[in-house]
Amino acid sequence: MATKMASSDWSLWLRQIGAILRIEIKKNFWGRRALLIYLLAAVPVAFFAAMALWSETAADIRRGTESDIIFANIYEALLLRSIVFFGCAWVFMNLFRGEIVDKSLHYYFLAPLRREVLVAGKYVSGLVAACALFGMSALGSLLFFYAARGYLDNAQALLSNGRLGHALSYLGITLLGCFGYGAVFMFIGLFFRNPIIPGLLVYGWEWLNFLLPPVLKKISIVHYLHTLAPVPVPEGPLATVAETTPAWISVPSLLLFTTVVLVLAAVRIRRMEIRYGAE
Amino acid sequence: MAVYEHSYKPYEGAQTPHWARFLVLPRYAYESVFKSKLAGGFFAFCYVCPLIMLILIYLHHNVSALAALRFNVADLIAIDANFFRFFVTFQGGLGFLFTVLVGPPLVSRDLANNALPLYLCRPFSRAEYVLGKMSVLLILLSAITWIPGLLLFGLQASLAGGGWLSANLWLAWAIVASSGVGIIVLSLLALTLSAWIKWRTAASGALFVLFTIPFGLGMLINGVFHTRWGHLINLDVLIQTVADGLFRQPNSMDFPPWMVLPLWAAWLTLGCLCAFCLLLLSRKVRAYEVVS
Repeated sequence: MATKMASSDWSLWLRQIGAILRIEIKKNFWGRRALLIYLLAAVPVAFFAAMALWSETAADIRRGTESDIIFANIYEALLLRSIVFFGCAWVFMNLFRGEIVDKSLHYYFLAPLRREVLVAGKYVSGLVAACALFGMSALGSLLFFYAARGYLDNAQALLSNGRLGHALSYLGITLLGCFGYGAVFMFIGLFFRNPIIPGLLVYGWEWLNFLLPPVLKKISIVHYLHTLAPVPVPEGPLATVAETTPAWISVPSLLLFTTVVLVLAAVRIRRMEIRYGAE
Repeated sequence: MAVYEHSYKPYEGAQTPHWARFLVLPRYAYESVFKSKLAGGFFAFCYVCPLIMLILIYLHHNVSALAALRFNVADLIAIDANFFRFFVTFQGGLGFLFTVLVGPPLVSRDLANNALPLYLCRPFSRAEYVLGKMSVLLILLSAITWIPGLLLFGLQASLAGGGWLSANLWLAWAIVASSGVGIIVLSLLALTLSAWIKWRTAASGALFVLFTIPFGLGMLINGVFHTRWGHLINLDVLIQTVADGLFRQPNSMDFPPWMVLPLWAAWLTLGCLCAFCLLLLSRKVRAYEVVS
């Protein structure tokens, strides 16, 4: 009997998550606030397209043996640390703060719906938007970067030099970044009425990660993403040397971290009261 | 009093002079700005650097203090253009963070709560409204940038004598003008974002992102395409280039020569940016808005 009830609970929650997903995905992809995310996601693609079209840089990419390192550097500095970071901040902070600004969160709170389910539904909807846009941005960047090498070269490299694996790794890192940063920013959006200060602190912590001692380095998302990069990116002469975390630890650690943050967000939302006037 | 005895009577009290009406806005804005402990604390923190620099200038000219501390004058930092340039750059950075904290709610609150008609139904023009809101930032940022800068300059001039003052008078202009350019650009950007993004947190974030992402992107464009024009999207470099010109220090950021942005390009871009911000503000700051 108990097992039957538990399974019916789960099916109800999954249906409710599906319903939230349908509403939120429309907002995340077609709302006015989505425009900024499209612009952000387009920046690296436009940059790499310009590189491919600019005859001098295209020649450098064709000629150079270090094109993989060039891509890895630009990917990490531009896409991962800037676009994915700020994009996730915008998407995931908006999930709850945006509803408070629009004075519409009470509609969700008045629905016969467990608040934990609301957190899960909102997170999954943000994840779908972030992963789709930034994943496409990463793949589009790769496509344009290697387009400069020519079709034949590319096809050969993809099949023989393991570039297909590189491309999948970059896609995977981008998606993991969306998982981790998404959870952090949703948590910040739920806990802080003015999330700009904690957001800036997270930004500073992630950017200065290379200077931190090895133990502290591991309390960050970018450290795990950095170690997963298929082409190692040097962190500069000032960086402290830390042991590389293998992928079999990095990936589960990030997923575990995401789960813990989501559980904390779920605990927080159970006691949350809306005060639209204070916003 | 019976209702029929109520009749229209114009206000007969003293009126604020027309030229000073915009200053009513900062008077009330400061109350809400300094209600926040964070903003108040940060504003106080902005005076740490001027204080240290004041002590450095004093030590330079006080032989007995140097002897007591066992310092040699040669070991101290020279009080020259580099000294004041560092001051302007550092305080400008703090000013940016202060603007991120204080600037975005200025207009967004009025727009989000439909309060603009309450301002504009009074003898108060849209230009005065913008000037009033802008002066909140102009006055506060001036108080942490060029005003203490001029005080430091004045102290150095009084201690070093008339010769130093006449030889370095241009430095006073450089301090005021380079800080002023930064303040005007920051204030206009903050007000524009505040007017267009009614959510103050998002406006603060947007102001921060406007300085960070274009910084990295501009550097990447320059490096990859071997050009200097990537700096045109880099607000920080634009402001620093203008300051370089004013402080007579070409390329203080140590870029390779081919990457140094011409001074005219920096002035022109900042001018266009300010004009664009004013245009956006004039579209948004209206007593009513037709939403279709």
